[in-house]
Amino acid sequence: MFSTVLLFREALYGALVIALACSVLGVYVVLRRIVFVGAALAQISSAGVALALWLAGAGIALGAIGRPTVVSLLLTLVAVLFFAGGTRGRVPPDATIGVTYAVAAAVGIILIAKAASGEAHDIFLSGNILGITRSDTLVLLAVAVPVLAFHLVFYKELLFVSFDRETARTLGYNVRRWDLLLYLTLGVVIASAMQFAGVMLVFNFLVLPAVTGLLLSHSMRGVFFWSVASALVAACAGFSLSVPFDLPSGPAISAASGVLVLLAWAGRRIIARS
Amino acid sequence: MPSLVTFDRATLGYGRRAVLTEISFDIPEGDFLGLVGPNGAGKTTILRALLGSLTPLSGTVSRAPTLRFGYVPQRDQVDYNFPLKVLDVVMMGRYDRIGLGRRPTENDRRRAHKALEHVGIDRLADHPLADLSGGQKQRTLIARALVGEPNVLVLDEPTNGMDLVATTQILGLVRELHDRDGLTVLMVSHALNEVANYVERIALVVEGGFRIGTTDEIMTEEALSQMYGIPVEVDSFAGHRIVVARRAGAEPVTDHV
Repeated sequence: MFSTVLLFREALYGALVIALACSVLGVYVVLRRIVFVGAALAQISSAGVALALWLAGAGIALGAIGRPTVVSLLLTLVAVLFFAGGTRGRVPPDATIGVTYAVAAAVGIILIAKAASGEAHDIFLSGNILGITRSDTLVLLAVAVPVLAFHLVFYKELLFVSFDRETARTLGYNVRRWDLLLYLTLGVVIASAMQFAGVMLVFNFLVLPAVTGLLLSHSMRGVFFWSVASALVAACAGFSLSVPFDLPSGPAISAASGVLVLLAWAGRRIIARS
Repeated sequence: MPSLVTFDRATLGYGRRAVLTEISFDIPEGDFLGLVGPNGAGKTTILRALLGSLTPLSGTVSRAPTLRFGYVPQRDQVDYNFPLKVLDVVMMGRYDRIGLGRRPTENDRRRAHKALEHVGIDRLADHPLADLSGGQKQRTLIARALVGEPNVLVLDEPTNGMDLVATTQILGLVRELHDRDGLTVLMVSHALNEVANYVERIALVVEGGFRIGTTDEIMTEEALSQMYGIPVEVDSFAGHRIVVARRAGAEPVTDHV
């Protein structure tokens, strides 16, 4: 089993980078209650991939503009600007997110169905962890390292505007700008991870590890630690089981994350009762 | 006393809609002002203009160059799902002094402990914020406002949802901060009966109307009946003023006027 996993070690490294980046950002996603913004961004990102494939198939897009990564990133960043600006008016924010999610999902499926190489590229929407190469991992690292460094350096600013935006504003913080920066990092990570991990696994990494962290710790540092640790463990466990047992890697990792959430929940209950 | 904030014929509102028209008043150093009125009357609009997050439609709101607010938000404005310890929250009051991308130092930590001591809950420094009672949470938010060394303490509905004991303790603490430290205080509240017995001046906001004066000037039957548009009695009990709204054909009832 170990030798089989070793065969796909490049893919595992890529999955670990995605797990690390998403699980750090996921703490903000869960605490700020923007879980479905994460889902919608992932879906929009996948629609971007589909759009690029359709454009390429129709012979419309040329060069960098036609590349799935570029189109996906551009579309995700437009969505980031929309969500970071906040929604006003009669439609509740969660309904706006729901509309965006549903439309992005439908458009993505339609475009893929009509793309010349649609069936072959359907894998972009559901993810293909095993297909991650060394150069893919390097691209993922090139995105994840600056994003994580940004989050490390500006931790207290991001925390303050997330926790109590009114007070942050009175102390001179430009809350909208910090929101935008947080959403931009989220969009960049989602867009880069989505092509390899697929919508479901990215969403999983954004939510489940952070929930595990919140169940296991009473401090921000602890939540970040457990979120990252559980994401890495789930990636390793899910990946290691999926290869020898011929299971789809993404769902296997998601299932492993789910098991860790259950264990954390049970552990918390036991501690609370004792 | 020099003025810290001056509203000069300021018309406040959103878009083209004016909520309050041409209001003028100032907050001198050492003031203890209650901004009182029913929900939706325009208190938050004045507060936002004061804090600088709302630009007047006309007129001016000027602030002294040395002005620094210590803001205590409404308790439900803070998200208690964040796994933060009391000390972490208090430290946030120094974040702008610490600087962008820098970490709090030992000095910041010491000051945060001192602020907690000042409000009487230093023993709770390492407790999760979410586990505290309403009064303790409010003290934490007051400590956070104090740790930034403000010259004006602004409290938004500080006793909302609190029981009688916690309300009395919090208002007593605010009064003490004013008396002992000479801190200028602006307290925003919908509960006239609570605020009137602690502050020195009252700014009353009722349905677009605005009136400001000393507590003695505002807490009169004539002034309050005119502002609220209903017959009002002001009684005194054990040194406390109580505002009573008189209903037609009924005995007077104490209410949150």
